[in-house]
Amino acid sequence: MLWIALHLPLLSLEAFAATLAAGDVVGERPLALMDAQRIVAANAAAGSLGVKPGLKRATALALAPQLVLGRADRERDGRALEPVAHAALAFTPTVVVPPAEAADAAPHTVLLEVAGSLRCFGGRTKLLERLEAALAPLGHRVQVALAPTAHGAALLARAQARTHCPDLATLAVALDAVPVWLLGPGREHWDALQGMGLRTIGDLRSLPRAGLARRFGDALLNELDRAFGLEPDPRVPIALPPAFESRLELFARADRAEQVLHGAGVLVDRLVVWLGAQHAFLRRCTLEMRHEVRWRARSDAPRATRLELALAAPTRDRAHLVALLRERLDRLALPAPTLDLVLRADDVVQRAAPNAELFGATRGAHEGLVQLIERLQARLGAEHVQRLEPLDDHRPEHASCALSAAEADEAPASGTLVGLPARKAVRKARAMPPRRSKKAAAAAAAPAAVDPQKRRAPEPPPRCTPTPRPVWILPQPQRLSERQDRPLLEGEPLHLVSGPERIEAGWWETALAERDYFIAQAADGALVWIYRARLPLSVAADQQGWFMQGRFG
Amino acid sequence: MDTLSSPAARAARLLPPFRSPSSRRPPRPAPEALHPTLWLGHQLGRLREQALPSGYAALDRELPGGGWPRRALSELLLPHAGVGELRLLTPVLVALQRAGRLVMLFDPPAALSAWALRDLGIAVEHLLVVDTRSRSGLDGLWAFEQALKSGQVGGALAWLAPRLPHERLRRLQLAAQHHDGPAFVLRERAASERPTAAPLRLAFRPRGADVLEVRVLKRRGPPLERGLLIQLPAVLSASARARALAGRREPALQAATFVDLRAGTEAPVPA
Repeated sequence: MLWIALHLPLLSLEAFAATLAAGDVVGERPLALMDAQRIVAANAAAGSLGVKPGLKRATALALAPQLVLGRADRERDGRALEPVAHAALAFTPTVVVPPAEAADAAPHTVLLEVAGSLRCFGGRTKLLERLEAALAPLGHRVQVALAPTAHGAALLARAQARTHCPDLATLAVALDAVPVWLLGPGREHWDALQGMGLRTIGDLRSLPRAGLARRFGDALLNELDRAFGLEPDPRVPIALPPAFESRLELFARADRAEQVLHGAGVLVDRLVVWLGAQHAFLRRCTLEMRHEVRWRARSDAPRATRLELALAAPTRDRAHLVALLRERLDRLALPAPTLDLVLRADDVVQRAAPNAELFGATRGAHEGLVQLIERLQARLGAEHVQRLEPLDDHRPEHASCALSAAEADEAPASGTLVGLPARKAVRKARAMPPRRSKKAAAAAAAPAAVDPQKRRAPEPPPRCTPTPRPVWILPQPQRLSERQDRPLLEGEPLHLVSGPERIEAGWWETALAERDYFIAQAADGALVWIYRARLPLSVAADQQGWFMQGRFG
Repeated sequence: MDTLSSPAARAARLLPPFRSPSSRRPPRPAPEALHPTLWLGHQLGRLREQALPSGYAALDRELPGGGWPRRALSELLLPHAGVGELRLLTPVLVALQRAGRLVMLFDPPAALSAWALRDLGIAVEHLLVVDTRSRSGLDGLWAFEQALKSGQVGGALAWLAPRLPHERLRRLQLAAQHHDGPAFVLRERAASERPTAAPLRLAFRPRGADVLEVRVLKRRGPPLERGLLIQLPAVLSASARARALAGRREPALQAATFVDLRAGTEAPVPA
């Protein structure tokens, strides 16, 4: 058995710093944590000003007026330790987080049993490198130690960083130098041990066991035996929670959405680590910003503001998720200040990680495109990024509609054209009977698969319309003035060149169109498409006369 | 004295001809042949990367590199939408779509007819339209800049608002350097009075049915005095074109006149 112990000495301070607004890095501002009016932890900046654990609050503030004080919170530390355990789960199924209430408390430590994973990850050094790379995004300072026993590794990690003991003999030698204070019972009996001159575990071991048991109890001997491998030490590994829900309490009230972004970034880090542990990808998540009751301006204001993020392609990319959140938060106006953020993963899909391609063009380009389209949709709104769809209707204003490109299909196999997101009709086209929409949805859902060989065959598409249609269609037909029964455009008479083309359609709706279309040439030579009602005297007065519908571009 | 038999002449015939040191070195290359971005004032510049052929030989001859430039903005100035600009750009857009790249349009001035685009050969399935006209602010420019910076889009056309400040266009030109493909910005005619950051600037004018006059206002090369007349793919049939060319002297085509017999009044007779 080979146990890796990850000890996070500054976890409390780092967890507290994560709740501050962006820019307050742990190392720069003096931070200290308080418990019952006494300082329990202080960072290096505070330490250099003289703030040490054990001082009273008033003393600390007198020494460092700009000190940022926070409350020591065990739950917050536990929540911050979870992502570290989840990151470790990607390397081995046996990850142990010693509970804080145990007698031999190894606080802020995560233990991994990796004897079975060494071969998979290519050796001890490579596994350690990958473990450190996986923990780097969380931004914690980690002390690592390896040993054959779990408790031995935990003690070594707290005492000194980066120790490796391949067998019990070297473990015994290393543990002999560990200070007694790190043992749980050693802390209780610290005064007595110090009085007897017992500083290190080696000193303890040189004494007779019966005497130690009589003076300090069995717990001390038990712990030593477990650390040295003389007694079995069964541990219960943690289980990955099936659903991800993480909470972060901000230190200062967030009034504006961008202040929320820093906290949301911390939650996204945890989410990405949890996804990595499961080898899963995110499809949909929700960020909930809870509002305090007493700060809500009106009593009927909502308790929480929910921001739903739906992704076109399942992703685990932290930068992309934060960019999307930033765009959505910029557009969001908070009804009340928020103090509590909750991130929940709603839809997670298991999929193998994409292989790095040799000439990685197709899949990488497709994912880059999908991310670009998602960013545009996040900022502009899904209805402003559109695809055109030709419809079976002779009326020009209903012959094509612009649908939003909302959903994406799975990335097509290499060799196909870049498959665009299949669309979900947000704006219902006015003249689309339901039969047609299902056919269109089915036709568009299957990505166009074209072989690379066939891609180069030049085939002019068959003509779709009997007569040429203009590329530009005015959304509202523009009324043209007339002079001597000839239509005018910008004061110049139009010269009818081709026509008439009679289009009668829409009898099944009230928007019946019976029109004669002509192609006309304007004074500057451009071609326009104008129409007149087929029976101008039988339509309403506002429909008589000439209208311009389009321009040939 | 006979020169051929003199000792000096005999020696000169036997020895190899004397060469000056400077003539032994290879001739120096002309400076404009050293690097693609160097060009003399009277030459047409070359591009560092392969240009995309526009599909019209007369235009390709006048464009530096023989086609539309990549990684740079090409500014097209139009009097109004619908002079034939899309028909001119169709060959390069179709080539991009056939290569599997996406074409994006930003803020088109009117609705596009999917059938007409299909008739031109543009696949509407590989076309994306971003419409920000109903939104206030600079969202359209932001979207265009993001698409250029991503480098994944094949071709981009953007219709810009009138009187665009110069620094915004400069910013787009910088973003276009990441974009591996043509980037067209379509602006109003009045923009020709102000300088541009785009390396290529063309002005369009319709000159009759299916004929477009292209004037090259700015390019990496000598100025072009005359405009090019480009024949676009025909929209009109032959008889209609003949009618259009016949001129405006007499209206060859007339719409019918309707007489309202119920009211007993006559509609005016067309001129």
